[in-house]
Amino acid sequence: MIDSLPIAAIERAEDIVTWMDRLLWIGDHRLPLVVSTLIGATLGLVGCFVVLRRMALLGDALSHAVLPGVVIAFLIINSAVGTLSGGAGVWGLFGGALLAGLITSLGINLVARHSRAKEDAAIGIVFTAMFGLGVILIGRLPKGTHFDLACFLFGEPLAIGRDDLITACIISPLVIGAIVLFYRPLKLLSFDPQMAAASGVPVLFVHYLLMGLLAATVVAALRSVGVIMSVAMLITPAAIAYQLTNRLVIMLVISAAAGAVSAAVGMVLAFLFNVPPGPAMVLVATGLFAMSMVLAPEYGLLAKALRRRRIRRHILEEDVLKSLTHLPPGADLPAIQGLVGRHVGHEQINATLAGLAADGLVLREAGRSTLSEAGRKRAEQLVRAHRLWETYLAEHNVPEDMLHEVAERLEHAHDLSEELADELGHPEVDPHGEPIPAPVAPGSQQSES
Amino acid sequence: MSDSAATTVPTGFGPDASEAQPPALAIAGLTVSYHDQPVLRDITLNIAPRQLVAVIGPNGAGKSTLLKAVLKLIPVDSGHVLIFGRPINEARLKVAYVPQTETVDWDFPITAGEVVMMGRFPRLGLLRRPSREDRRIVAECLEMVSMTPFAKRHIRQLSGGQQQRIFIARALAQQAEILLLDEPFVGVDARTEEAIFKLMDDLSARGKTLVVVIHDLSQLKRFDSVVMLNRHLVAAGPVSSTVDDENLRRTYGGRLTLLERAEQEISRGPHT
Repeated sequence: MIDSLPIAAIERAEDIVTWMDRLLWIGDHRLPLVVSTLIGATLGLVGCFVVLRRMALLGDALSHAVLPGVVIAFLIINSAVGTLSGGAGVWGLFGGALLAGLITSLGINLVARHSRAKEDAAIGIVFTAMFGLGVILIGRLPKGTHFDLACFLFGEPLAIGRDDLITACIISPLVIGAIVLFYRPLKLLSFDPQMAAASGVPVLFVHYLLMGLLAATVVAALRSVGVIMSVAMLITPAAIAYQLTNRLVIMLVISAAAGAVSAAVGMVLAFLFNVPPGPAMVLVATGLFAMSMVLAPEYGLLAKALRRRRIRRHILEEDVLKSLTHLPPGADLPAIQGLVGRHVGHEQINATLAGLAADGLVLREAGRSTLSEAGRKRAEQLVRAHRLWETYLAEHNVPEDMLHEVAERLEHAHDLSEELADELGHPEVDPHGEPIPAPVAPGSQQSES
Repeated sequence: MSDSAATTVPTGFGPDASEAQPPALAIAGLTVSYHDQPVLRDITLNIAPRQLVAVIGPNGAGKSTLLKAVLKLIPVDSGHVLIFGRPINEARLKVAYVPQTETVDWDFPITAGEVVMMGRFPRLGLLRRPSREDRRIVAECLEMVSMTPFAKRHIRQLSGGQQQRIFIARALAQQAEILLLDEPFVGVDARTEEAIFKLMDDLSARGKTLVVVIHDLSQLKRFDSVVMLNRHLVAAGPVSSTVDDENLRRTYGGRLTLLERAEQEISRGPHT
């Protein structure tokens, strides 16, 4: 079997195996992949709460605003220890960044509360100020020290070392653990901050806890994806997960997975095609998001379009069925079209009739259609719904000339007929004096197709 | 201080709002402003336990603000609020709040049952997980509002009446003594309205105090007492003796009073 494969394919496969081998098992490249995957998952997890609380802009702000903290920490460590590698360097930078992040979120709160600026404007004011301060500090660094702004912005995954692995291995479990531990208060605060405050949940504590987690994660992500791309890795996986589920727990899991997959695949692609890893990760995540936008089972564009089409077909079926009650047996297409409306073409009506015939509601012979007994009963229920709705609308002061038009649309909600009849006190005639057909006897009701 | 406050309270009402038992809700001299505009001015009001109280007034009269100020969800300029004789921060577990449905994020990934479980969170504290007892209470509260079959539905997939009932069930799960409901009849059909009223009657018979913001004055007959609000307190007391033409006119009628205009003038500062 292997013999029959083209040589080129085998060579290609060997190539890929070699690459994978190097990525996964050869010292240099294994670390970046592991670290990025871990960070990707953590960003995805924290991102869920950021997206649900509509704080995407705040995530952006925090990631930029850690710059002065990083620069000051860099300055202190450089002059005290002389090197940035080793524990002191990594944790020093981390502490500086975390502090700057918390100062930023406090500053935003302060501006939003004590000026006319709303929160989004406050975010814009504070984070650009912090970023500007950071850039100026870089320029004032003593001679002989070099701070790489580009690395801060875009990451430097190839330089990921043991220290970064250790940082990631400590930060990620801490952040994940905190989210598991404080899951319920985080959920309550995200869903209904007013109730949280009203019932005595320490809202400020939970808010700043989340801010702290956010800052910690962004800092841990600096080396692998950089500031700018870390925002995308915060938001996009969460947005993917949001498309796919109605449960927060599941959203967290999917988001973490999407973050991890985007990071890992992005890193592999970066090595294979020699492109920068941060942007590659983001583009993978964006690709996944585009897929979720189209293909998500409930909220995807495709599902929505299919649902709309199904509803349209259902409505047309019912309209055709009703038109047949007004026509003598053996109605032809033009007659039916005359009642259903000119906007519906012959082919469409023909296809609908074929469907109705298959369901045994319509009998067709040589292009002429007649309602079957089952079809007549079904149509009667539509008329019942229509007339009940007209009665309901008239009682609710809808003008008489609009009754028919509105009821025409509402009659398709015939599942509500009995509830409607109960509320109206089972009227026998509609506002025009037409008799309202009796409901289907229980048991004889056919199942919805 | 407290003595004189008690004697000057003009609007205590309800059966036996007396020394024996502190009022469920005591509001004294409460003033709230938004952007220097007074929204509520000098509200003084006692509500006895076990009362079913309606809060009425025109749009912008401060009805929702009153509920939020009681809970200290918004900054208060002056005045104080006591819940069974204790400040709100010591009595938060005794009060449950049902927000207006329009303030809820209906796209949040959460099921109806999970919303009701949130009513238990305040008692769980930050870290504790729900126990079997909590789950039993949630099931019971869902049953009380006839929402058990819908527990697993996403909140967006519920009708307006069902959404309202879920938030009432959440308040029930809080097992509070006082329930504050902000317009629970908005977007609700006649049948759900009746169900909510029956539930409120039932709660009040079981000793709960309910303060309900309503719009439809024809519902007043279902309440024991009424608070008539138009930025200031127009009147408060038993529905039968309080709601008359004069008070209705003063609540809903016409323009700002001279006093209100003066106050606006002052808060705007001298003309330039």
